[in-house]
Amino acid sequence: MTAALGHFTLILALLVTVYGAAAFVVGSRRRIPPLLASAERSVLVAFGLVTLALLVMEYALITSDFSIRYVANVSTRASPVRYKIAGLWGNLEGSILLWEWVQVLFIGIAVFRFRRRPHPLAPTAFAVLMGISAFFLLLLAALTNPFQQQFPVPPDGRGLNPLLEVTDMLVHPLLLYHGYVGFSVPFAFAIAALLTGRLDSEWLTLTRRWTVVAWLFLTAGVIYGGWWSYRTLGWGGYWAWDPVENASFMPWLTGTAFLHSVMIQEKRGMLKVWNLVLITLTFALVIFGTFLTRSGILSSVHAFAEGPVGIFFLAFLGAVVLGSLGLLLWRAEQLRVPGELDSLVSRESAFLLNNLLLVAFCFTVFLGTIFPLLAEAVRGVKVSVGAPFFNYVNVPIGLALLFLMGVGPFIPWRRASWASVRGNLLWPAVAGALATALLMAAGVRGFFPLLGFVLSIFVAATVFLEFGRGIRARRRLQGEGWLAAFRGLLNRNRRRYGGLIVHLGVVLLTIGIVGSSTYKQEHEAALAPGESFQVGRYTVRFDGLQGAEAATHFRVSGAFTVTTAGRPDVVLKPAQRFYQGYDSPFASVDARYGLREDLYLILAAFSRDGSQATVKALINPLISWIWLGGMVILVGALTAAWPLGREGRP
Amino acid sequence: MRRGPVLALAAGGAFVLLLALPPGATGAASEEEVQHVATQLRCPVCQNLSVADSPSEMAKEMRGLIRDRLERGETREEVMAYFVSKYGEWILLSPRPSGFNLIVWILPFAAVLAGAVGIFAVVRHWNVRARVRAAGMAAPSPDPAYLERVRRELEATEGGPRA
Repeated sequence: MTAALGHFTLILALLVTVYGAAAFVVGSRRRIPPLLASAERSVLVAFGLVTLALLVMEYALITSDFSIRYVANVSTRASPVRYKIAGLWGNLEGSILLWEWVQVLFIGIAVFRFRRRPHPLAPTAFAVLMGISAFFLLLLAALTNPFQQQFPVPPDGRGLNPLLEVTDMLVHPLLLYHGYVGFSVPFAFAIAALLTGRLDSEWLTLTRRWTVVAWLFLTAGVIYGGWWSYRTLGWGGYWAWDPVENASFMPWLTGTAFLHSVMIQEKRGMLKVWNLVLITLTFALVIFGTFLTRSGILSSVHAFAEGPVGIFFLAFLGAVVLGSLGLLLWRAEQLRVPGELDSLVSRESAFLLNNLLLVAFCFTVFLGTIFPLLAEAVRGVKVSVGAPFFNYVNVPIGLALLFLMGVGPFIPWRRASWASVRGNLLWPAVAGALATALLMAAGVRGFFPLLGFVLSIFVAATVFLEFGRGIRARRRLQGEGWLAAFRGLLNRNRRRYGGLIVHLGVVLLTIGIVGSSTYKQEHEAALAPGESFQVGRYTVRFDGLQGAEAATHFRVSGAFTVTTAGRPDVVLKPAQRFYQGYDSPFASVDARYGLREDLYLILAAFSRDGSQATVKALINPLISWIWLGGMVILVGALTAAWPLGREGRP
Repeated sequence: MRRGPVLALAAGGAFVLLLALPPGATGAASEEEVQHVATQLRCPVCQNLSVADSPSEMAKEMRGLIRDRLERGETREEVMAYFVSKYGEWILLSPRPSGFNLIVWILPFAAVLAGAVGIFAVVRHWNVRARVRAAGMAAPSPDPAYLERVRRELEATEGGPRA
């Protein structure tokens, strides 16, 4: 009964969505306002229906209705309620349902916003969005029906993949989906611009905030993914260049390039084709990433599904890429803009280099991710492309980007004069040189770590200098206090100052990455209760083991007393979780987090009688700066996306 | 005059080639050495983790094996070759830079280089166009003081340039 209701709702939503897409097209082409109004209502209806389907699924999950196969796959009777709820995105079918829900939610918000200030591009863009939504609904209704029933009904479910049964799981996928779906809005407006021939920069300015918000969610999702990996996977790192990580990172790279290159079009009217290409690429990479990770074509932690879904995604991807390409060729003549530039060195050139590096970065990740497939197809040999390759190729690109981040924002549009560049960069360059000397004196060696730290300091100095000057000028001219001057400065150009705050966040993140990857220490020891070992400035003493029954698993945790620099500090309790149906245990790590370094303990092994435990201790210097940087990035992005208050409006 | 860009390109090319060369092996023995080899090998029972990072029992054994072989005097390359002979090329976390695999090593740098050349060409083209237009319009340039006066008057009548 529940299953039938859910499935029926999805089919109905599909029909309504297809109708809505058609009504938007016909209504805007033939100019029939009532039809357009009806199309807008159909969005509302589709949203209601998909929400209903979602609620039906949640009801089935919470009430443990194991006659629905999906429910049995992702939960057990004993699962805590929050994990029952999160089961919705614990596997393929539910994830797509959630994705589709976010998609219609975004369409609904877009329709609502454009109702107040209608725009000729909007109906066509909505038609495109409804088309995308219809794809997911078709997928749900025909191929990955989450309400698939099974007989006989099993007495209990299989439960969530234990790797997913952690609190972070409640957040990370949601963030990612909002990011993925968010980019469909600027993409739809780009396609609408091509279809209707309104090829000026309207589609960009209309969706500017959508783009920033999508980027914000995607960034948060990617960084949160790192945090999850760090705390849950139990190997002490946060990024393994796993295909699923790459899949979320690739659209981030092109999306970031897009965020920068749109400014050239807004200011100078140039690069029209390039911006259309970038947003298409970003959306295509979202679909491609999903194809990669959901088709099971590459083996990866997250590739928990196999089947015809891959082909379906591939077909959709083909339609997106070829369709956009066809439209671009069709409009090529009208899109040509004769570019002009007064000087070779200018903001425009800096943005072009930024785009080159970001896209090259993306290309590298793409190539590395699909190369094993390529090699297998051509040579018939399985090869791996992992962290050593990605780090080797991408570190130089990343450092070049960091350098541009310091220079680019301070080169004027059109033409750079030496005086202005010197005025903005002299002191930061001095700071960088000083930092080099200090770091070398402090014993920092190695070309890349040194360059990473020095460039970070250089970029941070440019940002602080810019803020300092702005605030000082406002205080002098308008007599404002520190805080008022800061707010006034932000309001004057939220995008610029928000962007600079984002850059500062990237600097913190870089420091974290360089520090934790260069100065990582580790030590493994087998201890009897009462014994201890030394790692860095910590003494770790093993106190004993404890076993406990939890709802879904059995947990064995060790107690380790940490003495920091001679003082008793904390007791850390790394554990192993044992699940029925899984041969090997899952690690629950514990750590002492700090700005200077994290002490990270993994319980590697133990003897059943409690007489011994093997523990791996990692010291990850500066790793917290990554998460801190992530937060600063979010603050910056929010600053850029925040609606202007009355005072701020020009 | 024309030599500048060519030289810059050549230097850029040389730099890129330098980067594209795989890191060489130096130093000797110790835990660091073991770690170095371990980061290059894939843990066979994990998803995409190196032998150095993996917490699995298998990876631990492999680290022991690496240590034994290094202590017996084998070079890094010989140790890696041993694992390749046992598991196939798949065990290497970065593909050997030879034959077909060269694609994955060279293409990223080639792409950056090609892109840089392309951008340089485009920016120069734009710059030339701007200069040609400027030269066309540059006839007798008006007196700056006169221009300033016109600008002020315009501002006064329109209530500022931003209005």
